[in-house]
Amino acid sequence: MSIPAKHPLLLRAASFVLVGLVVISQAEGVEPAEAARVASQPSVDFRNDVVPILTKAGCNSGACHAKAGGGQNGFQLSLLGYEPDEDFGHIVLEGRGRRLFPAAPEQSLLLLKATARVPHGGGVRITIGSPQYDVLRRWIELGMDHGDEGVRLVSVDVEPTQRVLELGSQQQLKSIARFSDGSIRDVTSLSLYESNSPEMVSVDDTGVVAVGDIPGKAAVMVRFQDKVAVFNAVIPLGQTLESVPRSQNFIDEGVFASLMELGLPPSPLCDDATFLRRASLDVIGRLPTTSESEAYYASASEVRRAELIGNLLNSPEYADYFANKWTTLLKNRRDDASDITSNFAFHSWVRDSLLENKPYDKWVRELLAATGTVIENPPVAWYKRVKQPTEQIEDVAQLFLGVRMQCAQCHHHPFERWSQDDYYGLVAFFSRIGRKPTGTPGEDLIFHQRGLAQAKNARSGEMLTPSALGDAISDIAPDDDPRLRLADWMSSSENRFFAKAVVNRYWKHFFKRGLIEPEDDIRDTNPPTNPKLLAALEQHFISSGFDLRDLVRVITLSNAYQLSAIPNEHNASDVQNYSHFYPKRMQAEVMLDAIDQVTGASTSFANLPAGTRAIALPDNSYNQSSPFLAVFGRPDNSSVCECERVQSSSLGQSLHMLNSAEIKAKLSVSGGRADRLSKDERSDAERVSEIYLAAFARQPDANELQASVAYVAEPRSDAAGKPLDAILAKRENYEDLIWALISTKEFLFNH
Amino acid sequence: MSQTRKQQPSICPGPFGRRGFMQLGLAGFASLSLPGILRLRAAAPGPAAKKTAVIMVWLPGGLSHIDSYDPKPDAGSEYRGPFGTIPTKIPGLHFTELLPRQAAIADKFTLLRSMRQFAAGHPAGSMQLLSGDPDTRDKPQPSYPDWMSVANYLRAQEGPRENPLPAYVGVSPPTSYTGQAYLGDAYAPFVVNGDPNLPTFSVPNIGLTAESEVHRLDRRLALRQNLDRLDRAFDRHGELDAMDQFESQAMTLLTSPDTKIAFDLTKEDDQTRDRYGRNSWGQQLLLSRRLVEAGVDIVTSSLHGPLCGRVGNWDDHAVNHHVFDAMRFRAGAYDQAVTALIEDIYERGLDERVLVVVTGEFGRTPKISYSPSTGQGNASAPAGTTQPGRDHWPRAFSNIWAGGGIETGRVIGATDKRGEDVIERICGPDDFLATIYHHLGIDYNNTTIDDFSGRPTRIINGGSPIPELIG
Repeated sequence: MSIPAKHPLLLRAASFVLVGLVVISQAEGVEPAEAARVASQPSVDFRNDVVPILTKAGCNSGACHAKAGGGQNGFQLSLLGYEPDEDFGHIVLEGRGRRLFPAAPEQSLLLLKATARVPHGGGVRITIGSPQYDVLRRWIELGMDHGDEGVRLVSVDVEPTQRVLELGSQQQLKSIARFSDGSIRDVTSLSLYESNSPEMVSVDDTGVVAVGDIPGKAAVMVRFQDKVAVFNAVIPLGQTLESVPRSQNFIDEGVFASLMELGLPPSPLCDDATFLRRASLDVIGRLPTTSESEAYYASASEVRRAELIGNLLNSPEYADYFANKWTTLLKNRRDDASDITSNFAFHSWVRDSLLENKPYDKWVRELLAATGTVIENPPVAWYKRVKQPTEQIEDVAQLFLGVRMQCAQCHHHPFERWSQDDYYGLVAFFSRIGRKPTGTPGEDLIFHQRGLAQAKNARSGEMLTPSALGDAISDIAPDDDPRLRLADWMSSSENRFFAKAVVNRYWKHFFKRGLIEPEDDIRDTNPPTNPKLLAALEQHFISSGFDLRDLVRVITLSNAYQLSAIPNEHNASDVQNYSHFYPKRMQAEVMLDAIDQVTGASTSFANLPAGTRAIALPDNSYNQSSPFLAVFGRPDNSSVCECERVQSSSLGQSLHMLNSAEIKAKLSVSGGRADRLSKDERSDAERVSEIYLAAFARQPDANELQASVAYVAEPRSDAAGKPLDAILAKRENYEDLIWALISTKEFLFNH
Repeated sequence: MSQTRKQQPSICPGPFGRRGFMQLGLAGFASLSLPGILRLRAAAPGPAAKKTAVIMVWLPGGLSHIDSYDPKPDAGSEYRGPFGTIPTKIPGLHFTELLPRQAAIADKFTLLRSMRQFAAGHPAGSMQLLSGDPDTRDKPQPSYPDWMSVANYLRAQEGPRENPLPAYVGVSPPTSYTGQAYLGDAYAPFVVNGDPNLPTFSVPNIGLTAESEVHRLDRRLALRQNLDRLDRAFDRHGELDAMDQFESQAMTLLTSPDTKIAFDLTKEDDQTRDRYGRNSWGQQLLLSRRLVEAGVDIVTSSLHGPLCGRVGNWDDHAVNHHVFDAMRFRAGAYDQAVTALIEDIYERGLDERVLVVVTGEFGRTPKISYSPSTGQGNASAPAGTTQPGRDHWPRAFSNIWAGGGIETGRVIGATDKRGEDVIERICGPDDFLATIYHHLGIDYNNTTIDDFSGRPTRIINGGSPIPELIG
């Protein structure tokens, strides 16, 4: 089964066919150093010559012999060769020395297996007579030098580092290694390549980058041993931009400058109806009501868009909507009926924090350093849900810093500089959390346990004091809660992660695609598509005092946010430069509320007052009682990743819209919109217009009006073929019309 | 995608990671668009015969192996239980007297007596067996997707489904202990609940009964066609096309006579229905057979409910059931339904394509325990009456396998004289899963799916197909 996977571990596992073809690069400009070194040097160095060959051939990939993946058939290597000293032992000493046979190097098991001369589950990885084969053979022949006295790899550079590439063009990359003895080698053929956007640029095993048909920016990570370098491609469309919308603020400057650079003409600004609906859905998670729409259109203000944003942000529903977002990521989950107290308390705390616009750094600090019981201090609930220090730092890193640390628990992070020391240095911040049972079963009292904060690196056994992603933290006294020091570090204006992670996350909320994507995978090897804009957003957010409401305001007031979703003749293929708005399917809760609003029905939820909207639900337990929420992908609050929310379509969703009792009941509910309109005195045109205003915040156009009015006037008969009386027929027709409108793409998407 | 049906057993299992694969198709259409899927499909070889399928009959709570397939007549009375043994069609192989029908067709399936796992709770045990999760602690949500969702997901990656029936149907599916984890709800089973033996049994969303409802749906769709005006030019990833495709599949499911027929047990003759047993279990398994015959790839059916006794499952602690009364109470329906399914699979020529496996999450303690019953009912004495029970036993249990092109009439593995531990051919959950994946043509060694953190996660963690159980 071939797997077009994005992950380099997989790519290598799948690409063994190519490996046999690897030759020392003949690309233009390659210095002859490598050939010379291989041919004339008396010894072959294990660390710098042998391990890279094994890595390139995929031997130490997760699926094959990497220890992290189990290590096939007892032959275990460090993942991607990060621990050459250990690998030396595995290859030279283990297996009773039978893996190597210096007297007849060709008969070494290592070579017999790699060339599949004896049965090898991984097939042929290295061909006999290839330069790679010769290096391995000579290393064995020359006595298997460990190379521990030898030169060390200092850095890897990619050439070029950045280039403007045309659509459909190709570019050969060159990977240059610099060693501690001052030597330089072309390691193009031994490096690994990975595109951060295979849709835009692909890269093969020999470092040739191929550009597709999408303009924008993409990066290729180049790795040699434990060093990485990044090639940035700028792929312009090359159109001449006659004009761009006026800049409302620094966001527009950033977006439009990038579009100018790429020659990618933006779509025009969207109309008022689209903006009204878009902003309401994005800021308060619901459609504008008919009276809100009418009030908006009635306003003669020149700045009514800005006024609308102000009103939305001041509404409590803003807090409901974003509390839903944050409580999901913070795993406010009901596993047991008795969790309800902490679920409600935690949700209220998040919602209240947003409502009072508590500075973001402050509420994160309150969460991280929470002590006490859930009742007196609700953020403690997070420690009830996330119990292990390793899980705590993984969640904190991914959610608040945008850094995925999971890999580094067991091995050097394969795309990043994070090592196990970095991982356990973070764990040390959470090493002094004390727990005491309280009178309420399952609810612990959380407190700071006096003592030296430290954690053991599981691999080296070394005890580590707290350190924060490469930044040293000065000594923490036994009386000080180390978590507060972590919070200090995070909210410092110098911090490279904290503000970036949240502005990027919020950017994605509004624009569908993060400036860094995925939004919680920030690393040097996954650069932002618009670094200047991201830096400006960070700076703005920090200067504002970590003001989330202001962040939303500045984003939604930009003209970049207000562009039409309709592509022009040039920008339809753009997926990352925001030349037009990218429509988003409504999320489950928003859609359910929207359907209720248009049909005039309501959904009731256990233990919550009538009229509670789905967006205001405190935890995941309601997914079980609401098939709608489950089938449309409301997450179960079990992951810190936004990706737990599945926004794709499914058969179940279609069946639900077409035929579920739930949707049928909403359409036909007594006192609902169809029922009410069927008895209304107004003309059908006026009644139809009301539905349009409720669903789309706009009036129907002439064709829509004509088709709708004609439909609702049709006579109907019952199942037995007997004509229905006028009111019943009307009611049935209005139900049909409402169904048709709430199942349009125009309704299901925020556009 | 290459078929790995005839591949050698496991040699190079990949990292126990998860998510690369997901970027391919799930959810966001993150990297492979629908047009991409269509291209993939266009590149695939011509229309193959129907794909391989699996029916898993699930015994929730755990079948007592000693009282069924692995009797220990020579063990002490505190172990062996009251049931006598009977010979089977296979010389030397004995079952307890509770399974005379299966004994008579023991040449048509292979018995595995040496299954072992390490999780003694129902959730953890089920998750371990069905997803390979090594965690032995109970937890409310699975960390890894079960094999059914994985198979459903991987089949979906092969291209749009031509058969209007869903690929994965749960006919009274196993409980919430299992699930699709990070694959998302789109890969959950199409669930058919209710008792298919009842004359009122009907499957929601299949074949609308009233003609007028079908007309109304058609009317609505026609109306909408005039009204949907979202500009589709933005849809680079085929998201809208995918919605349309699911909707048309849903419409077929709702309105096509063929899909309705697949779920309609009245299309079976009375003799066949009688043969499976005119009760919920018999008719569930008959429906399962009908569905695979109609092209469903994965069917699970859980034998639970009133036929099990008072608490409705196989969890025969003394507080729940009098274990021996319970086994006797349910044995007839169980024996009959499973026998009929296996025979039918062979008689209808489905035995190469369809693999049948019958199992619970674990066995029951060989040593009998006694406790007061907590309530009266079928297979349980009045509350407070001390009665015998057996508790959870993951260290050794049995399951049976038929069809799938395997050689049948065999016994694999053995337990010790009291049925407490496996002494021959230990098989674990990963072997169980590899066997099923192998039948489904899934490359269990190299397939990984990214989890929520983006880590590529293998669909099994080591393990290899049980050689006697692969066709």
